[in-house]
Amino acid sequence: MLQALRSRTHSSLLLLAAAFSISSCDLLEFSPNDYRAPADERDLTAKNLDKLRQLPLPAGDTLRFVFTGDSQRYYDDADDLVASVNQQPGISFLIVAGDISDFGFAKEMRWVNEKLRKLKVPYVTVIGNHDSVGNGREAYQEIFGPLNYSFIYGDTKFIMTDTNGREYNFDGHIPSMPWVNQQLADLQGARRQIMITHVPPQDEDFDPAVRAPYVQALREAKNLVFEMNGHRHSSSVTQPYNDGVWYVNSDAFSERRYMVVSVWGDKQFRVKQIKF
Amino acid sequence: MLPRLFTPVALAAALLAPSLVLASEPESPTAPPADNPQPWYRPRHVVLQTAGGLGMISAGAGYTYFNDKVDTDILLGYVPKKYAGSTLTLASAKFLYSPFTIRFSDKWQLKPVSVGAYFSYTHGTLNDEERGQYTRDYYWFSSDTRYGPLAGGRITYVRPAKANGRPRNVSLYYDLSSNDLYLHSYLTNTKGLSLGQILVLGLGVKADF
Repeated sequence: MLQALRSRTHSSLLLLAAAFSISSCDLLEFSPNDYRAPADERDLTAKNLDKLRQLPLPAGDTLRFVFTGDSQRYYDDADDLVASVNQQPGISFLIVAGDISDFGFAKEMRWVNEKLRKLKVPYVTVIGNHDSVGNGREAYQEIFGPLNYSFIYGDTKFIMTDTNGREYNFDGHIPSMPWVNQQLADLQGARRQIMITHVPPQDEDFDPAVRAPYVQALREAKNLVFEMNGHRHSSSVTQPYNDGVWYVNSDAFSERRYMVVSVWGDKQFRVKQIKF
Repeated sequence: MLPRLFTPVALAAALLAPSLVLASEPESPTAPPADNPQPWYRPRHVVLQTAGGLGMISAGAGYTYFNDKVDTDILLGYVPKKYAGSTLTLASAKFLYSPFTIRFSDKWQLKPVSVGAYFSYTHGTLNDEERGQYTRDYYWFSSDTRYGPLAGGRITYVRPAKANGRPRNVSLYYDLSSNDLYLHSYLTNTKGLSLGQILVLGLGVKADF
């Protein structure tokens, strides 16, 4: 090697060879905000929804899915959660209600994906406040996809919305009411709909200026089964506004509990809590 | 990935090239001792680095003390928007202690072990904390200040000294590091994460002048 370094050509070749061998791994990180990732670890929402489309639910059948939130930095627990969910019969997919990462780094999102990709079913996510810190919003879009999106599975339309108002300094635009209203107004052929967000409207991290129009939009929505959240690390199924709208709050990975949610009819549902 | 890497590697190669060309030239006679000591604040070397969490490319200068065993490097790094969502500028300081030097020959030296720490501040993150955005201790961590341990090594090519006796050595180095938040993640999840997942590699070149 020392001989080779004496010649300029040889040294360039050596440097190139070193670059080749190192570029295949993740070690050369430019910054913790560096969100470069291999192709199979990007656009995960679209990829998981593609997988879900391969497993269609017959029309009229009861839909069953796993609901949880706040995987942030609980990698030990994530292994156990995956093992437990893989034992559940008859579920179609899993939802993480935000805070996939703790510090808004793409690397954390990829570490969680490393666990959740071992699920037998696909999973989808919505952005949480911790995913919005620093350049986290950009990292989330790179690794997962859009901050607001919807999809239809079986007879159910799922609407996933960024409600992390504090992360936008309560600028009056989060959640985006024009988008939410447009989504709630059109079932696109589905029989019922479900709203999924991270911060619940009764929380102080929800933009107070948007709270009333948001709650009202849910109240007026046709066949809304419930609104689902993460953020609070404690499970509940309540009607905080006494207006007939159910709000379901998930457990966090740290609580070592998740929900198996069954939905049928126009807006019937049952929530079963599983300890793992 | 390769084109992204190529630029820093090419820069490193360009910086190194003159020394390699000079390698075949006859060695100059022993340099006279310096009669004009340099002011204390004059840096001893310049540094060019890629990755290590301190920028796609970072450049700076450094000081060496205690019989060439301790280095302090001050770096300014850059990450383009397409790799992180916004253009980032990083100001970093590295502190390294290298207790051993192995001299292979007149021209080649190896410092097999360097240990130390770094500190970095990132300017340009998008959702940086604004006054009043969060209640006190809402997030216990900073989104732009990182610190962590470093360990690495370096190989040095000894070039003929300048007329005033100052060395003109060129070193290639690597270091493995991790930051406070990655370490926190690992230490609270020793089963769910592996040490390899939290390690970051930096490569660089140091030139005495």
